[in-house]
Formats: sequence, C-alpha cells, structure tokens
Amino acid sequence: MSQSSSPELIEKLLAGLRQAVTEMMNSMAMTEVVFAGRESANSFTISAEVVGLVRLSGHMQGMVGVTCDQEMLRVVVSKIVGLPPEELSQEDLLDGAAELANMVCGGMKTKAQIGGVDLSPPIAIVGKEFVSQWKTNHATHIFTFQMEEGGLRIYSSL
Amino acid sequence: MRVLIVDDSSVMRKIVARGLRQAGFKITDILEAGDGQEAMNLLKTDSNFKLILSDWNMPVMDGLQFVREVRGNIPQIKNIPIVMVTTEGGESKVSAAMEAGANGHIKKPFTPETLQESLQRFLG
Repeated sequence: MSQSSSPELIEKLLAGLRQAVTEMMNSMAMTEVVFAGRESANSFTISAEVVGLVRLSGHMQGMVGVTCDQEMLRVVVSKIVGLPPEELSQEDLLDGAAELANMVCGGMKTKAQIGGVDLSPPIAIVGKEFVSQWKTNHATHIFTFQMEEGGLRIYSSL
Repeated sequence: MRVLIVDDSSVMRKIVARGLRQAGFKITDILEAGDGQEAMNLLKTDSNFKLILSDWNMPVMDGLQFVREVRGNIPQIKNIPIVMVTTEGGESKVSAAMEAGANGHIKKPFTPETLQESLQRFLG
C-alpha cells in the first residue's frame, strides 16, 4: 500500500520512467522499444514469470514493479551482458530481473530530477505458474512496452 | 592493466566488464568479487589493480565499508582508485563515499561513452 503523493510529482516521475525504459533498452540492450499503452487500477492480478521490485521512500513513497516472462528476460539480459542466452545461469536471470528494476528506477529518478527520493535495493522473483495480486490504496499506473522479444509491463504505485 | 569489479549481482559484474571493454580501455584482466569482504580477501593477496569499481548495496560488507577498509592500514592497496557504480544517487551517500576515500561515482544505467568519460583519468 502506498501513501498519496501530489499528482504533479507522480506525473513527473512517470514521464521519467517512460523515458528511462526507452533509453535503457536502446542503449544497454540495443533493442527498440515501443510504448504500447497506459492504464490505472487499484487491484489487479499479475501472472508474469518475472517480477523485479523497488521501493521508493523519502519525499515520494511507493513501489515500482517490472514484469515480463522468463524467455523475454533471458533474451534482454543476454543482450545487455553480451553473452548467448543459453550461457546465462539461473542466478544471472534472478540478478537480471533485479537489475532491470534497479536501472529502470534509477533512470526514472534521474530523468524526473526529483530530489529526496530514495530507492531500496531491488527484490527479484523469478518462477513459473504463480499468480499474484497487487492491491493499493491509490491507483497503480501500469505502462506496457513492446519489444521484438516480447512485452514488458511496469506497475507504479506512487 | 587490471581492474577489480565488486558487485553482488553477477549480471551487473558482466555489464560493467562489457562496458569497460566497449569503452576501449586496454584492460588485460578483469577480476570479480561478490561483496566487499570477498574483495578485501582478494586484495590482501593480489593488489596489482589500476582501478576498483564497487557497488554500494552488497551483503556481508557494503560499498561504503569496503572503501573504508581499502583506505585503511594496508599500504599496498590504500592508494588504488575506487569508483562507486550504483543507482543510488543520493547526495549524502555519494558524499559519505567520497569522504571515506572513493574517487568517483557512476550512476546506473550507463553507456560505454559514460564509462569512457568518467574513467579516462584512471585508465587512460
């Protein structure tokens, strides 16, 4: 559950997030990414195999979750580290999910130029056949990005 | 020219290593450690590094403590430059690392160009 932040600050951070994802995928994964839509919800189900989470604290509080499927994660991480997908270990995938969330949030903070926001170390969940429920007091903003390798969804409860 | 990368994330160690090579530095060896303590153990037996790149958040010994340990009382390692590589851009934390003896700070995500620009004075 997140506390309420001002709508202006939230929009500034979300604009930063959108820019950060595009720039990170272009520069680090050498992958074209297309923004495929935005929606809001207070409660929803996540059935993705990969979740990377970072908590925001300080002047703005909340949680950002980056989700995708394992195959997509494997391809993106292989492009970022420059190794064939089959050479990546399970530890690499877990660390890759965490680093994706870490870099998306770090980039978001830099792009938004909002001071006094601290990011927690990332938490990664990688698995199969699990469904989770995400519920917040205030609307969670859901951004969908599309790449050749698959889709990426980012949940921001701010 | 040898570089030590200290990061608990296997992926980030690979990303930094790849970035260093893409930046065009003439590096012969890149060694890796998963946390500050592991890096200290390595440095006590092998101190021939031109630069150390260290994460901030790590288990066992974090980046700040690692900087303090390196700048401690072991003469052969206390002058090796250390650059922090982290998403945490909080000014107070960067200041704390610099006060402890770190020589620079790079924010993730970064590009080979960023690395080239930031690390030229250490590896050029």
